[in-house]
Order: sequence, then C-alpha cells, then structure tokens
Amino acid sequence: MRIVLSNILAIYRRELQSYFASPLASIVAGVFWLLAGFFFVNLLNAFNLEVLRADSLGNTTPLDVPYQFLQSFLGVLSSVALFLLPILSMGLYAEERKCGTLELLATSPVTNWAVALGKLLAVVTFFLTMVLPLLLYEAIAFSATTPPMNFGVVFLGHMGLVLLAAAVLSLGMFISSLTDSTILAAVFTFGLVIFLWVIDLLGQRLGGPLGSALGHLSLLKHFGNLSQGIVDSSSLVLFGSYIVLGLFLTAQSVDAFRFQRS
Amino acid sequence: MIEVEHLSKSYGSTLAIEDVTFAVEPGEILGLLGPNGAGKTTTMRILTGYLPASSGSAKVAGFEVHEDSMAVRQRIGYLPENPPLYPEMSVEGFLAFVARIKGVSAGDRPQRVEQALAQCGLSDRRKTLIRKLSKGYRQRVGIAQAIVHDPPVIVLDEPTIGLDPRQIIEVRHLIKSLAGNHTVILSTHILPEVSMTCSRVAIINQGRVVATNAPDALMNQLTGGTGYELEVEGEMNNLLPLLQKLPGVLSVESSTMPRIAARSRLRVLAQPGIEIGHTLATTIVGAGLGLYEMRRLSATLEDVFLQLTREEQTSDFQMETSENSGSTAESTIGEQS
Repeated sequence: MRIVLSNILAIYRRELQSYFASPLASIVAGVFWLLAGFFFVNLLNAFNLEVLRADSLGNTTPLDVPYQFLQSFLGVLSSVALFLLPILSMGLYAEERKCGTLELLATSPVTNWAVALGKLLAVVTFFLTMVLPLLLYEAIAFSATTPPMNFGVVFLGHMGLVLLAAAVLSLGMFISSLTDSTILAAVFTFGLVIFLWVIDLLGQRLGGPLGSALGHLSLLKHFGNLSQGIVDSSSLVLFGSYIVLGLFLTAQSVDAFRFQRS
Repeated sequence: MIEVEHLSKSYGSTLAIEDVTFAVEPGEILGLLGPNGAGKTTTMRILTGYLPASSGSAKVAGFEVHEDSMAVRQRIGYLPENPPLYPEMSVEGFLAFVARIKGVSAGDRPQRVEQALAQCGLSDRRKTLIRKLSKGYRQRVGIAQAIVHDPPVIVLDEPTIGLDPRQIIEVRHLIKSLAGNHTVILSTHILPEVSMTCSRVAIINQGRVVATNAPDALMNQLTGGTGYELEVEGEMNNLLPLLQKLPGVLSVESSTMPRIAARSRLRVLAQPGIEIGHTLATTIVGAGLGLYEMRRLSATLEDVFLQLTREEQTSDFQMETSENSGSTAESTIGEQS
C-alpha cells in the first residue's frame, strides 16, 4: 500500500512539474485568468446597474445581489473552463505515447491505476492553482456585502467547479490515452464537452422520463445545483462516478494498447 | 537467470516469433542478432512484461514474466528502441524519478542516481534538460535509466543505434563493464558488435532462433573448413595440379594480380578439420616459387549469419544477402563449405 502511494506521488509530482514547466499550460492559465477577470468586472458592473435601475423604479422586492452574482460568475467560469480543459488533458497520455515513455511506465513496477490516478491528481491540482487566485478578488468583493456572505456557499460553488473539471479531465485523460496525437485528443475531448452541453440542454427541453434521466446524468445540472449551494449526495456520487469511470477506462485502454499493438 | 521456452507471439494472423527457446546464465551478455523485423524487439518486450506472449513461457530471475509481472519489472532494466525520456526534465531529475518508480528506497536513491550518472558519463550534464541533449547523450540517459535501480537483468534494444563511432565504442565498453554483476540481453543487427561485446549469440531470423552459441564457436561450427589466401610469384601451370593433389585440399583458384604481372593470387580451401598450412607452404617453396603472402581465411560472424539466415528467406532479405555476399570476399567460404 505504501509503495502504491509512493508511486502515485512520484507520478503526480513528475506530471505537475511538467505542467509548471510547460508554456502551453501557462498560456491556458493566463487566458483563464484574463477572461475570469474581464467577466468579474463586467458582471459586477451589470449587477450595479440592475440595482440602480431597480432603485430608480422604486422596486422594493429584496434582491440577493452577492448570491446571484456568485452564481453568474461561477456559470461563466465553468464555460471558460470547459473550453480550456481539453488543452490541459490532451497531453496526459498522448505525450507519453509519442515519447515512448509509456513503455517505461508499463515496464516499471507501477500499476496502470496508480499512473492514471497520479496524472489525474496532478492536472486537477494544476486547475486548482488556476482557480485559487480568483478567490482573492472574490473575497475582496464579498467582504463588502451586508449581511456578510455565507462562505459555505462560496466554498461549495468552487468545489463544484473543481469537481466538474475533475470529471471532464478524467474523461479527457481517457481520450488522450487512445491516441498519440495531442491535437486529436484535444479535438475529441472538446467534442465530449459539447456533448455534455447537449445532454444538459436535452434534459431541460425534453421533459418526461427521458428528460429527467438525462438531467440526472448531466454534469452541468449537478454543477448548477452545487453552485447554488445545494448539496445533494447524488451530485457528489455522480461526479465521483464520472471520475472513476475515466480512471477505469484509462487503465483499461492502456492495457488494451499493449495487448493489441503490432 | 533468463529462461525462455517455446515462446510464440502472433499479431492477428502474422507470427512475430515462433517457438523461441534460449537461456541466459547469470553474468552473461547474450546478443540477439537478426535482420530488421526478425522478432528481436518482440522477444524483448515479452521478457520485460510489456507484451503478453501468445504461448510458451519466459522466466526472469525465477519469476514468470506474465504471472509475476511486478516482481519481474522490479528486477529488470529496459532500454527500448527509442529511449523513453521526458524532454522537459533534467537528467538528474529524470533518473531520480525512474529510481523512484522502480522501487529504489529513498535512502539509496541519491547514491544510485550518482552511480548511474558516473557509469554513463553524464556527471557533467546532470542539470541539463533532456530536450537539449544530443542524440548520443540521450542514448546514454536511456542506458542510465535502465541501470539506475541496479537490476540483476538488463535488456537493451539496439543500444548503439544512431551513435557516432566514438560513442559506440564507449557504449560497448559500458555494456561490457555491466557483465558479471548483471545479466544482459542486447539486440543488434550490427555483426561486429556481437563478436565484440557478447559472450553468447542467438541468431533470430523470421521469428525463429536459428543458432545459439558463443560467437567464436558459432563461427567454427558453421563454417567448417579453413582456407588460405596466397600471393605467389612464378609459373602457375605446374603448381596448381600439385596443390590440388595435396591431402585435404578441396579447391584451388588462381587469379592474376592487376599490378604485378608475374604474381598470382591463390585461394586454397581445405576440408574441415584438416590443417593444410604446413604442406601448402612446403610445396610452393619446394617447387621453387616465391611466396610473398600467406593469409588464413577465417570466417566472420557475417558469413555465419548470412548462411543461417539464407535458409528460409523472403524475397526482400534474399536480395540483401546476395548483395552482401557479393561484396565480401571471405563469404565465399561460407557458400562453398
């Protein structure tokens, strides 16, 4: 057990190191921060205007501005992240296959599961470092709210974002393990992201048993719940299932790759 | 240390290796020799546990490679055809990473990395990023990652490919220095490499092992006869029948030399096991002719290889061998014996 943990940690550290050394990952983080900052200011102004207009119309219905602002901001962040995540996950295995290092990992006393888990943890950690700086300016904005913002809601929303990212990255990792072309991996992972959107939309539109079934499977719907501060164990189970599914498929595909290669 | 029995591997309907059997004793260096596509890489991949065999068994250090895969992986160092390197890592960082996933304990790691760096002549490049290294240095890092955990068995797939002559010599010395403490299997299609580094050779052709022996023994065993090449001055017409009648002589060929008209070049081939050197010289000198050069024709590993791989051949390889045998003078001996 200790050996397995040590192996996971070794893979994790190597992978994380390569993310921090990679110019592409820095560009992804930079774009993410730029867009996040832009939408943060934009949304802040938009809510300001709305409040002013409501005041001038003499509207006295109470409006929980910080809460709604947080939801809108998280929604925007998730969309931006979904666009960028395929670029983070595309190299996870495709790069190893291209460099021949998969042969090194496959002939080392490390299980496929340990490699996949170490890699996934590394890329999720990198995403976490992309999200953490945003908390700083959110904290400044929310510190001015009266009554004080419920930080449990803020935490749940961001946790939802990271879980959503982890699920997409896990499936993206599986896609990356199917090819040795990083571009192909990114394109197919992006296709998967669009598929997730379609499922979510269909779930909302269709109605009936099929619609609700799709709704239950939709990552975006469960992320929406979490971002509203609604904790439902089924959401957590769903995110967990997607993550484990990605790990499982990755481990299987790496095995299959060795069994069938010529 | 390594026992391979009746190993076969097929990819779909194509048979990559068929009924391969060999054994390697501890401390030996075994060379797998064969043309490209003969099944060397497949054999090595099965040994390292990277590929499963279709049938047969392979044991490394007493462990079955498929059933006890983890135990085997810990005891084996493997350099694939393309060295598996992470371009963005430093040499030292990469070796430390490999040592770690190969299960070297934290306390031993710095010392093992240090030793691998020193053995492969990488000490002055330890901080360099791998993507900035030249091909020769990358190959060395590849070898270093195969030996960093001090494995009892080392498998090297074409370790000298793509290196310049000086680097090839260095790598060969390195491999030789590994023998004794380690059991080494290396594959190559370069013939002199095998006679220089290996204590035993297994020749693979079309997925089958066609011969296994020490390089010298292989040459003696398969070429059988010996022969001499002579440079003689004088009248040939009387000499040739004389030589032909000597006991043990199989054939005599003569050709005039291009620059010196009075001299001829003779090729005398003898039956296996009969030494004709002495009588040959006496006869020529006794006939009053001048003997200017007398050279023993020894078969090279190349002849052995060509002879063995010619027996079952595909059209591609046939072309290659016939070209080769035309260009090397010594190989006639192989053809005639």
